[in-house]
Amino acid sequence: MKVGDLPGHGFKALALPDPDRSIDGVYIGDLLSWVMGRAQMDNAWITIMSNNNVIAVASLADCSCVLLAEGVELPEDLIELANQKFINVLTSEKSAYEIAVLLSGLLS
Amino acid sequence: MKELSLNILDIAENSVKAGAGLTQILIDEKDQVLTLSIIDDGCGMEPEVVRSVVDPFYTTRTTRKVGMGVPLLKLACEQADGKLTIESVTAKQDPEHHGTKVEATFHTDHIDFTPLGDVVSSITTLIQGHPDTDFLFRHTKDGKEVSVDTRQLRQILEDVPLSSWDVIQWIDSFLREQYDDFNTVT
Repeated sequence: MKVGDLPGHGFKALALPDPDRSIDGVYIGDLLSWVMGRAQMDNAWITIMSNNNVIAVASLADCSCVLLAEGVELPEDLIELANQKFINVLTSEKSAYEIAVLLSGLLS
Repeated sequence: MKELSLNILDIAENSVKAGAGLTQILIDEKDQVLTLSIIDDGCGMEPEVVRSVVDPFYTTRTTRKVGMGVPLLKLACEQADGKLTIESVTAKQDPEHHGTKVEATFHTDHIDFTPLGDVVSSITTLIQGHPDTDFLFRHTKDGKEVSVDTRQLRQILEDVPLSSWDVIQWIDSFLREQYDDFNTVT
């Protein structure tokens, strides 16, 4: 599936500069240094962290998108940064677990 | 990083890369505040570089020399209600006294405080990896102290390289023995 399909499944797009990126796996984590070494290319990365390092780690790990759980939002300057760095960021009211369950269904 | 000791390793590596002859790694704990200072006598950074090293995209886009080390340390201390400051003097500004000081403070009673972790392993890893530069490590708390200074070791060891297995093992147990006393509540 593509990142651009997610708004149709209840996600709110905060930055969607690259909607055609495909999602072929999921990584969940909030400790950025840990995620940096473990998230795989084309993973949707679920986190509750929202600072500029998140955009950097998503870029380094080449994640297809950042999915902010539990209604976490991005400040305006970080939305701008995400667009500028070509990083898709979406948010959902769901918990990380519920997002993972939803994606599990969508990806299979 | 799950442990501050890994951040220490990251930042001290920057000092070595900046050509430091001596890198000081100082930890002081007082009244629930932990202050970590990494001070080197390396080439220093221009003010605009100092401003940009906290920006992760400075490092990932234009150069990998600094890494995510500083942004992640900044995040770790801000999550524990502390702050990060960087002071730097370039060799051009002052040929005699140049270098960089990175200071991070943490509130150790904050729930998101990252534990210090295995700082002894970080110190021995640094010494083993860079046997030709000097390191001073000192951890102080409540009048107690753990320390090692490779300049002193070098004098005693004469021609034996600091990276030799026996020396590294010795430094490891030397520090761990000091920590046994340090952590004993009297």
